[in-house]
Amino acid sequence: MRLPRLLRTTPFRLTLLFLALFAAAAAAFLGYIYIATAGEVNRRADKEISREMESLQAAYRLGGADALNQTLVERSLGERPFLYLLMTPDGKRLSGSIEESPVADFGDAKDKWTTFTLTETDLDGAEVKRPARGYQVRLDQGEILFVGADVGESESYVMKIVRALWGAGALVIVLGLAGGVLISRNVSASMGGLAEVVNAVRSGDLKARARVRGTRDEYDELAEGLNDMLDRIERLMGGLRHAGDAIAHDLRSPLTRLRARVEVALIEAENGKGDPMKALEQALEDTDGVLKTFNAVLAIARLQAAGSAPDPQLFDAADLASDMAELYEAVSEEKDQTFEAEITPGLAINANREFMAQALANILDNAIKYTPEGGAIMLRLRRRSSGDVEFSVTDNGPGVPESDRPRVVERFVRLERSRSQPGAGLGLSLVSAVAAAHGGRIELAEGAGEYDGRGPGLRVAFVIPPAS
Amino acid sequence: MRILIIEDDLEAADAMKRGLTDAGYECLHAPDGEEGLKAARDGEFDVLIVDRMMPKMNGVEVVETLRREGDGTPVLFLSALGEIDDRVVGLKAGADDYLVKPYAFAELTARVEALSRRRETGAVATTLKVGELEMNLIARTVHRAGTEIDLQPREFQLLEFMMRHAGQSVTRTMLLEKVWEYHFDPQTNVIDVHISRLRSKIDKGFDRPMLQTVRGAGYRLDA
Repeated sequence: MRLPRLLRTTPFRLTLLFLALFAAAAAAFLGYIYIATAGEVNRRADKEISREMESLQAAYRLGGADALNQTLVERSLGERPFLYLLMTPDGKRLSGSIEESPVADFGDAKDKWTTFTLTETDLDGAEVKRPARGYQVRLDQGEILFVGADVGESESYVMKIVRALWGAGALVIVLGLAGGVLISRNVSASMGGLAEVVNAVRSGDLKARARVRGTRDEYDELAEGLNDMLDRIERLMGGLRHAGDAIAHDLRSPLTRLRARVEVALIEAENGKGDPMKALEQALEDTDGVLKTFNAVLAIARLQAAGSAPDPQLFDAADLASDMAELYEAVSEEKDQTFEAEITPGLAINANREFMAQALANILDNAIKYTPEGGAIMLRLRRRSSGDVEFSVTDNGPGVPESDRPRVVERFVRLERSRSQPGAGLGLSLVSAVAAAHGGRIELAEGAGEYDGRGPGLRVAFVIPPAS
Repeated sequence: MRILIIEDDLEAADAMKRGLTDAGYECLHAPDGEEGLKAARDGEFDVLIVDRMMPKMNGVEVVETLRREGDGTPVLFLSALGEIDDRVVGLKAGADDYLVKPYAFAELTARVEALSRRRETGAVATTLKVGELEMNLIARTVHRAGTEIDLQPREFQLLEFMMRHAGQSVTRTMLLEKVWEYHFDPQTNVIDVHISRLRSKIDKGFDRPMLQTVRGAGYRLDA
């Protein structure tokens, strides 16, 4: 059998647990109070009885049995709450306020304590039984004296306390249960919203979001955290889908081209014309293009997944910059471009050398590719006043309009006029991924500005923190 | 030349085997690390091609075991993962070269060729000679048919590498890795530009070009 939903909630179970703990503690407390008070009541009664007995014995020693008898009569009439009985040595009643001693089998004993029950008839004629204590002593001349006291008054007081405590305990339990139900309801209401969102997401609705009530409590925090997480997942999924579409798009055209070329070459070879060798070479080239795109996508995905650069080494950024300048200066000069490098030596960085080289290669390659013949390109390495190390490549090509700059860093985005150039549109995304993996960023700005019919150009800065 | 291919992907192994057999190598295939290790211990091979991810025993363990046992057979390490640290792990284990899947077949054959001939060049030479081209490694001078050729330091290194691998196909990636010591995809024809500069220096004015372009692969220096 399943419990009602409310009773299965965690807060309710916790409430029950605390109630059980409280009840156990309360029971132990009550027990202690009972034992302590009840014992105390008896002890006090015994003390008073002893004192009374002593004072009676003193009277007896002074004036013998007659004096004692006199005292007993006086005291029985007084306010004292004692019961008295004076007996002959063989146990016959001489005088006192009760008829018979409650002490059984006194025999030859010198004294004896007893607990007994006093039966009285109250004003309404009903019999009332009350607990009592008694002390019986054999006097010097052999008479027997009994003194008793009714402890019922004190005991009923203790019982009252105990009953009050039980009552309070029951009240606490009832209030606790009610509180537990209330808290459970409240928590269930708060959590229920979150659970609904989780269920919705599980069944595929990534748009579901938890309601933030604005109470700034931990539920709101949880709801906000959940929403942030979902936003991030949705963004990543979007990125993935976008990348998937883009890969499909970028791989489909070269693959289709490849297939067509191979097919045509096959038909031509069957008819004994055409140049199968040339077709195969072209096919190989197409395949390489596909592989390049593939590798770039893979590299970006890995860097983003890892979140940090693998296998970092400590090296001088100037060495890297000089090597890249040397490599790409030759390419730039092939296009009759002026290539300049301004490199600040001795800037230590802790980075992955290969990914850094790849990033700079992509930036330089872009600059050379998009700057027309006769243009100028400058590679510069410097330390920023913030301490960050900045590689920058500035050209005087057509540049990228400010509104398009954030977009060109995205995967596979290629501006309309760059479609004529080869490439998969992954260059700057990879650069950005490399920078991010090194705790840095890339910044796009206007290049050399418009001058002499050229420009405004593009300036790409690759900024990473220095080695610490 | 005998090559042992230790690779669990049977189709890839088969393609590799056919291609390398066509290129004139004798190929043997082991489908997992354990069998590969056994075969490598038993037979004499000129090059081992070892895949990283394999059942029973992975490529790193195979190479480490062989190196521990004193086997110095050149190893070309293959990996589908392609992470940079993966490369470092492979080379640290004792592999001599590393190739990331998917690779161009020309890249594989060029690297296998380079590795298989590595053993033949043992002694430390102070001069290199390929046909009428002579390189003095101490004086850092180059002569072709007695005429001195003036080279930039990097051009000198590039030519030295080509001369050490004379008659072999050398890919652009290999040149970037071995001469510039960088491992990345240069996007454009960076290496081509540097080769053409070198070519203009060593072949200009001579009727027979020595620095050949190998279609689909890279370059070759012929005597």
